[in-house]
Amino acid sequence: MAGDVLLSVRDLHTWFELRRLGFVRVGWVRAVDGVSFDLLRGEAVAVVGESGCGKSTLAKTILGLHPPTQGEIVFDGRRVHGTEDLRWYRSRVGYVQQDPYGALPPFMPTQRILEEPLLINGVTRAEERMRRIRRILEEVKLTPVEDFLHRFPHMLSGGQQQRLVVARAMILEPQLIVADEPVSMLDASVRVEVLHLLRGLQARHNLSIIYITHDLSTVRYFCERVFVMYGGMLIEEAPVDELLRAPKHPYTQALLAAIPDPDPANAARMRDVPPGEPPSLLKPPAGCRFHPRCPVAIAGVCDVQVPPHFQPAEAHRVACWLYGAEREAVPAATFR
Amino acid sequence: MGQNGILTVEDLRLHFRTTKGPVQAVDDVTLTLRRGRTLVVVGESGCGKSSLARAILRLLPRNVHTYSGRIWLNGSDVMTLPEEQFRREVRWVRLALVPQGAMNALNPVLRVGEQVAEPLVVHGRAASVAEARRSAAEIFRQVGVPLDFLDRYPFELSGGMRQRVAIAMALVTVPDVVLLDEPTSALDVLTQANIMNVLKAIKRDMGTSFILITHDIATSSEIADDAAVMYAGQIVEASQAAQFYREPLHPYSRALMASVPTLRETKTLGFIPGRPPSLIGPPQGCRFADRCPARFSRCSEEPPMVAVEGQRQVKCWLYA
Repeated sequence: MAGDVLLSVRDLHTWFELRRLGFVRVGWVRAVDGVSFDLLRGEAVAVVGESGCGKSTLAKTILGLHPPTQGEIVFDGRRVHGTEDLRWYRSRVGYVQQDPYGALPPFMPTQRILEEPLLINGVTRAEERMRRIRRILEEVKLTPVEDFLHRFPHMLSGGQQQRLVVARAMILEPQLIVADEPVSMLDASVRVEVLHLLRGLQARHNLSIIYITHDLSTVRYFCERVFVMYGGMLIEEAPVDELLRAPKHPYTQALLAAIPDPDPANAARMRDVPPGEPPSLLKPPAGCRFHPRCPVAIAGVCDVQVPPHFQPAEAHRVACWLYGAEREAVPAATFR
Repeated sequence: MGQNGILTVEDLRLHFRTTKGPVQAVDDVTLTLRRGRTLVVVGESGCGKSSLARAILRLLPRNVHTYSGRIWLNGSDVMTLPEEQFRREVRWVRLALVPQGAMNALNPVLRVGEQVAEPLVVHGRAASVAEARRSAAEIFRQVGVPLDFLDRYPFELSGGMRQRVAIAMALVTVPDVVLLDEPTSALDVLTQANIMNVLKAIKRDMGTSFILITHDIATSSEIADDAAVMYAGQIVEASQAAQFYREPLHPYSRALMASVPTLRETKTLGFIPGRPPSLIGPPQGCRFADRCPARFSRCSEEPPMVAVEGQRQVKCWLYA
């Protein structure tokens, strides 16, 4: 995989204004608060975090569904937002939603669902549209194709619905897929099938994938790199094996320790869980946003200054003052 | 039968009436929960596991086609009790349920302390409202909710705290058995670990017997003493947890276990092709046969429950 950057996100902020009575501004919900990263062509990365950490807002901002409050998104060398060619961008980026049934229009059969994006993007010849619909249905293994063309979403199983959502995301042959919890609504036995499918498409089409999830146990089977998000910020980044083997941030460590593998020995012990709740994005704590829950917080440092990204190992970045002494701080703008 | 466990379910059957024919949601289920232990029932969506919980608590909808079998609670068959007596003496007194999504179904206009104290008042278990409140406070302490939360409303609580309140509601009458239906599936990883810690502590301190119904095999191992696997309305395997998580027997249990991603070891994940059969007129023989990699001619007949290695039971011809 060459160092060919497809998507570059710089200092991205997505804040939502909170008003009372419709006009008095009460404050800002800082859902995404200073996120920077580069995504390579053909690379799959995971963004992992708990609910309310801003990961879905990050996905939607990247998709152009929320305007960024500040910062920029550069795709394939072109600045995305504020330009007139949002259609150009959206035809190159596919979106796989969390709830397949909610994401599919209930009154449209499969053929119509897949035809819509082609019509919007000016594929005028009917034979050409059908050719592409057939090809994509075969790729997502909704075969025999004839059986599925005229079925409505409610006539499909959960796994088939999600494969149709993937087919719709893929029909314009995008370069990037943003998958927001694509398998969290599915049963375990189907989940693996959909992840295999996405991984296969990625390899065949040299796709880049941003996989948003709360489930760290699936990332090892799916991604090259992992970003951990907490309180609207990326707090750690590493290759997947390294992150699972040697997590650096105390939050990442706590998260990994809390996830059980199926093992009868689990029943014999209590798990260590950091106290408290994730921070409010309306009034985030000063300094490191994890410091009120952190067992190793340094008084006078962690509660005062926001930690920059340190590099404790090759390709491993972490926003934690514990690693401040080891290396020079890497400015956030070059975070990758 | 019925004497060796605190709760024994025998040939429990719950079929629903629909225009297309009866749905065999729970079909001849036999289970034993031993005192002070936790029985985990795992299964995928639509396998009938929530219907099983409702059948045990006799919380039935109107379209019941068949409801039969025996439920022994502490040695007496509660199935034979008339509805009014069951409601007064069994449901929520000796047998409580934390339904799926209970944390989102709390009454939004009642303080959570009142909601938790309510079962005691309704069942006449407390001499006064003040006494019920004291019991509620005691239960709050057990499940790790700060006492000043007694006077809060549900919207003021986080998801993890609301789930603890839902568990407190089931525990406040000190029932013999508590059924938990997917108690952690809507929660975050850290909150999930917290709730499992709470359940472990309750089990240790109060000796409550639990039935945990879930699709999440990894999380279920946090508290399981015994495990049962449900598929298409039937129990296909029942084992002690120590054996089950290391080496499941039924081909379905094996395939299900192979599809669970693990954090600490790399393995090749498998999936199960096809989909579960319809519970309206399911296949005659083994209900998993269509998807089973090990099927053979005999699988067209219904397999019996076979005892394996003494304690284990599996509904599969491979072991007959």
